[in-house]
Amino acid sequence: MNKSKAKVAKAKTKKILNVLITYCILIIVAFVFFFPCLWLILASFSKSGSIYSFDGFFPKEYGLDAFKALFTDTVMYNYPKWFLNTLFIAVMSCVLGTLLTILTAYCMSRFRFKSRKAMMKTTLLLGMFPSFMGTIAVYLIMTQFNLINQQWGLILIYSAQAPMGYMVQKGFFDTIPYSIDEAARIDGASNFTVFVKFILPLSKPMLVYTALTSFTWPWSDFILPKMLLIDKDLYTVAVGLMSLGETEFARFAAGSIFIAIPIIVLYFCLVKYMINGMAAGAVKE
Amino acid sequence: MKGISAIKNFFKGLPQKIKGIPSRLSARFAGAKEILTQGNGKVTASMLVMGLGQLMYRQWVKGFMFLFIQIAFIAYFILTGATDLFGFFTLGTREGNAWYGIEGDNSVVMLIMGILAILILILYIAVYISNVKDVYRTQCAVDCLKKPLAFKSEISALLDKSFYKTALALPVIGVCVFSILPIVFMILIAFTNYGDNIVPPALVDWVGFANFGKILSLGQFAPTFFKIFGWNMLWAVLSTAINYFAGLGLALLLNKKCVKGKAIWRAFPILAYAIPGFITLLGFKFMFSYGGPINYYIQQAGGEAVGFLGLDAKWSARFIGLAVNAWISIPSTMLLATGILSNVNTDLYEAARVDGASAWKQFIKITLPYVLFATTPVLISQFIGNFNNFGIFYFLRGGLYVDGYFLASDTDLLINWLYNMSIDNNYYSIGAAISLVIFIITSVISLTVYVLSPSYKQEETFR
Amino acid sequence: MANLSLKHIYKVYPNGAKAVNDFNMQIADKEFIVFVGPSGCGKSTTLRMIAGLEEITAGELKIGDTVVNGMEPKDRDIAMVFQNYALYPHMTIYENIAFGLRMRKIPDIKRYKKDDKDGHKAGEPVLGKDGKEIPVMRKYNKREIDEKVTEAAEILGITEYLKRKPKEMSGGQRQRVALGRAIVRQPKVMLLDEPLSNLDAKLRTQMRSEIVKLHKKLQTTFIYVTHDQVEAMTMGTRIVVMKDGFVKQIDTPKNLYKYPANKFVAGFIGTPQMNFFEGTLKKDGDKVIIDFAYSDAKITVPYSMLMKTTPQYLDGTKTVYIGFRAEDVTLEPERVAQSPAKIKVRISHSEELGTETLVYGDINMDGDGFAETSTRVIIKSGGFKEYMPDTVCEAALDINAIHLFDKDTEESIMPRIPEYNYLDCKVQNGNITFLGNTLPLPPAIECGDGVGEMLIPVSAVNFDGGIKAKVFGSENINGQILLSLEINGGRIYALSEKVIEEGIVNIGIDFKKLILKTDGKEILPMPLTNGLDGTFVADKGANRGEKIFSLLIDGVKFAAPEEVYSKMFAATTGRKVYNSQFRYEWSPYDIAVADSGLKAEVEKMLDYGKEKFAKCRVGDETLYVKADKDIEGTVFLSPDAGKVSVIESQRQIRIV
Repeated sequence: MNKSKAKVAKAKTKKILNVLITYCILIIVAFVFFFPCLWLILASFSKSGSIYSFDGFFPKEYGLDAFKALFTDTVMYNYPKWFLNTLFIAVMSCVLGTLLTILTAYCMSRFRFKSRKAMMKTTLLLGMFPSFMGTIAVYLIMTQFNLINQQWGLILIYSAQAPMGYMVQKGFFDTIPYSIDEAARIDGASNFTVFVKFILPLSKPMLVYTALTSFTWPWSDFILPKMLLIDKDLYTVAVGLMSLGETEFARFAAGSIFIAIPIIVLYFCLVKYMINGMAAGAVKE
Repeated sequence: MKGISAIKNFFKGLPQKIKGIPSRLSARFAGAKEILTQGNGKVTASMLVMGLGQLMYRQWVKGFMFLFIQIAFIAYFILTGATDLFGFFTLGTREGNAWYGIEGDNSVVMLIMGILAILILILYIAVYISNVKDVYRTQCAVDCLKKPLAFKSEISALLDKSFYKTALALPVIGVCVFSILPIVFMILIAFTNYGDNIVPPALVDWVGFANFGKILSLGQFAPTFFKIFGWNMLWAVLSTAINYFAGLGLALLLNKKCVKGKAIWRAFPILAYAIPGFITLLGFKFMFSYGGPINYYIQQAGGEAVGFLGLDAKWSARFIGLAVNAWISIPSTMLLATGILSNVNTDLYEAARVDGASAWKQFIKITLPYVLFATTPVLISQFIGNFNNFGIFYFLRGGLYVDGYFLASDTDLLINWLYNMSIDNNYYSIGAAISLVIFIITSVISLTVYVLSPSYKQEETFR
Repeated sequence: MANLSLKHIYKVYPNGAKAVNDFNMQIADKEFIVFVGPSGCGKSTTLRMIAGLEEITAGELKIGDTVVNGMEPKDRDIAMVFQNYALYPHMTIYENIAFGLRMRKIPDIKRYKKDDKDGHKAGEPVLGKDGKEIPVMRKYNKREIDEKVTEAAEILGITEYLKRKPKEMSGGQRQRVALGRAIVRQPKVMLLDEPLSNLDAKLRTQMRSEIVKLHKKLQTTFIYVTHDQVEAMTMGTRIVVMKDGFVKQIDTPKNLYKYPANKFVAGFIGTPQMNFFEGTLKKDGDKVIIDFAYSDAKITVPYSMLMKTTPQYLDGTKTVYIGFRAEDVTLEPERVAQSPAKIKVRISHSEELGTETLVYGDINMDGDGFAETSTRVIIKSGGFKEYMPDTVCEAALDINAIHLFDKDTEESIMPRIPEYNYLDCKVQNGNITFLGNTLPLPPAIECGDGVGEMLIPVSAVNFDGGIKAKVFGSENINGQILLSLEINGGRIYALSEKVIEEGIVNIGIDFKKLILKTDGKEILPMPLTNGLDGTFVADKGANRGEKIFSLLIDGVKFAAPEEVYSKMFAATTGRKVYNSQFRYEWSPYDIAVADSGLKAEVEKMLDYGKEKFAKCRVGDETLYVKADKDIEGTVFLSPDAGKVSVIESQRQIRIV
């Protein structure tokens, strides 16, 4: 009797300890991930820009000077213009890239044509190349076609390279039962109709995931824009912010916050879709 | 053990595979032979002039389309294609000289336009073959008393039976021009002497395997290469393992029943995930810089400012790199693992609990195998991604050259070295050769892992 | 609302695997056909070929009067219900059912859209220049769709769920929606691919009877695929049992149960499974001794009960499978006492099922009664009877319900229509004597004097001879009437087209089909198919654009009529028909002796009395040709290209 009671009590303390440790770890994790962000936010509100005038992580004085400068002092660093440039490039590449990726994945999942296996193997191999060596070639091609220093050139590259990462989406389409296609075909739908009326609505999580990834890539990429955009007025935020030094730290932080916020908001709205999309794409059955 | 036997089997099967080549080849060319021996006059007409046979079968639109492609191709070939193709082999014959006002040949541009010409030629041959096949198909139909397809029904087939042709046309062209062409260019550059002081207007030439020899033997390249390669491997394995297991652990932690407010806890890592990578990296660089907050506290405590990312900070910089990379990558692994964990059959855990398995045992015996199985492809791509992780050390310690290394620092990965040499210092051909080596290493590793993984073995069994 | 015709249907995958072999079936309008068999037997593949989801490798599939090979599924006017329902998850039930209607176009005539100033009213037909109505194709309008969907929903009792999404419904309801989606278009044929497999047992029974009810109501042809023999037996008007791509038997549920054509069907249909024993049969006078292997059991039955058994199996050397269903074995003492066929059974255990008890035992006293061996026996007995394990009791077998199968081919050796009549005979001076009758042998059968056995195919017994026979029984077997005849105390079977009641008939024998074995010599029947290898060619016709298609045999062309070449085109892809080897087959009656054609050497004339045939040689092949008069030397043969049957040599597929 007593023994079993002791056992129950022991189990109980063990459980409480377990919960305590779990929460401790969670708090540490939360701190580790949140503190650098907090630091950036605080820094953006510092009155003086330089990192040398901070008390450790915390600015000595707070103010909105950095933000003001960001939007008004546009002679050297035209942040509003960069922001709009980035937005334009990212949105256009997102739309085109998503379309092409989804189409590619759908074809690879639903059709059995002669060169299918060869194409799948080729993309798998190509994906292993250190990609930016190719950027020299891309640069040369763009100069040949007179697309240097133009936003459409960037959009073209981003959307044309997007279908290379079709595997995740294919994995998702593979999980949509084939009999739905067949039922629709018997009902009189063509493959195009099947794609538009069934596959697309059924793969919303995947669409969201694809759109998000093909938005964030141009949004935060710096290699291509740095190479292809010469005019300071055409810069994207990533290139622009990189040209800021340690003395402009507050401005850097403020700019970072502005560019991070849209993506953070998107991620939090769509986290459910993200999880489903990633999992479905990874599991191969 | 499994791997060895798989490789053994591969070699065992090799003789048979080689023996099968002639029969497979003849099977492949059986179609061509059939067309050549059985095609009628209209097929021959289409062989001579694209579209002619189709026109003879009264398939006007299709016929004229093929004809137009033929004319367009010939026009292209006469105007630039032929010279481009020729230039691919010579890489230019006339050296430019500004003094004398000679506009010379730009070898690199010639190379790239040559590749483009070859791509177009391949595309043209493909269209040509499909043109012959098409007219032969019509002949078959007519010979078997079926009506040749009306143009309208061929168009509707492009939206139905062969919808893939319509849908894949754009992606394939895009990938060819912006992914395949650059890679081919890069591979070819590895066999030229482009770089150092041989850059346009100087003429570039083919040199065969000389660049690879230089990497392995020449004093300045070889030691750097092997040092960097060793660190690169260590980095890739360590960072992949850290990110993978930490992400999985975090997901498991958040999956615990006792954790309340999961969405809030999960929000912090997602925050880190959502911030664009370059911001994070620059932020951390500032954090660890001489004037940064960390050094501020060290100085406050009476210590001396430490160059965490400085010239002689080999290991501290490496550790910071690993940590920062973990900060950036763990959240995505966590999201992935969360999704996959929600798919695990809970019956398994209940059965395990009834059998008296401890939490640790459950993790080892159920969770880990399942997650590993589901994520092998992802794991491979993460490994490759880390192997070629350019951003981390470019931002944290970009532009540093350390003694004992040729144009690189002790934290640089192969890809950073590549960048330093080719973009910053014009060693293009050596850079290309190195990237070929990187490619061979990564592809061998990942293909081996992939072939051995259960996910591969179960691929085409899904239908 | 259509009949189906499947002729020589094959499915061969590119790797050479044959999923379906030579499937032949005529399905009448309003039938409920069930395809049943273990997984991988080709039943689903056949169904999907009918649906058009899978290509037909060879053969001809007709729905109604149209050949639908190569037609798109949507044009075949069929509907299909899938195992996993395949409902469109993002659409409401209403939309799910309506989708097929929205995609479809129906024939109509052109009508005015609204009133116009010329006095035409909206909806009035527009007349063409010739004063006739103009036919157009139009889509269903909203009202029509609404009506049809509501009607279908009412039939299936899902009216209240129309606004829901599929995931808000239970399995049974989902299956109802899938049925609704199928019936709303009023298809010619309903195809159901294991529609109940995902439901639980109770729901399955309920849906089973609902589908049967639906079939009665819709009066449409149903084709239903299942692996569950209970479903097959309870639902089908006819059942197709398949295994490994072959059709094992096509029959009504009752006939499948009572007269399985092979061991597979016998074991597959019915629960508990039929008891199979190994053993030998030995005829001894008018008795047959059945000796069970691996056991001491031995029973003696009168030969009259095993009349249809092929005699080779009755010599006591060939091992056969002996099958008895569980209900044909009894342990009831009074019935055992009366039975002539008793065996000892050692009881091992029993399963009580309420209305009945299944008793497991073994006729081998050392057997355990659990494993499925050839001595294990399951006996059906009344409810709640207790049997002590390890007791040995006597069981009685119902000999009328015996099933016998060959050990190697597993085919029944007691077919419902026996292949041959086995009779003792005596040949003397060119006359043959059997069953007290003496007939002259035709000159074609050259047989010395002697005593032996004759095998008269049942189909070779005709009714225009001079032998008197007494009819003492007739049986209708799938439209064929099998007569049991008695001739001087002996018995033979004959097939007739009409029912003949008791009485005396005159029968004769078609000697060309006879097998005669005397004194170690065997005379074989004349082959009834003549095969020739050849190819297929096309030539320009006399008129422009006209083409003549011919079978090319030995350098001679025979123009093929349309029904032959169209089938040959249908069974081959591309120009393969012109490059392939074919084997052309004709019956002797379809080859005529003519002035031109295949050059042949007459080897011999065969005179069968009423008919004469010439045995000819064409190259390496031997041909038998019907000849009205004696011919010799070199002749020319002209086969009737319209009556040819064609086998593609490479794939061994019959295509015409």
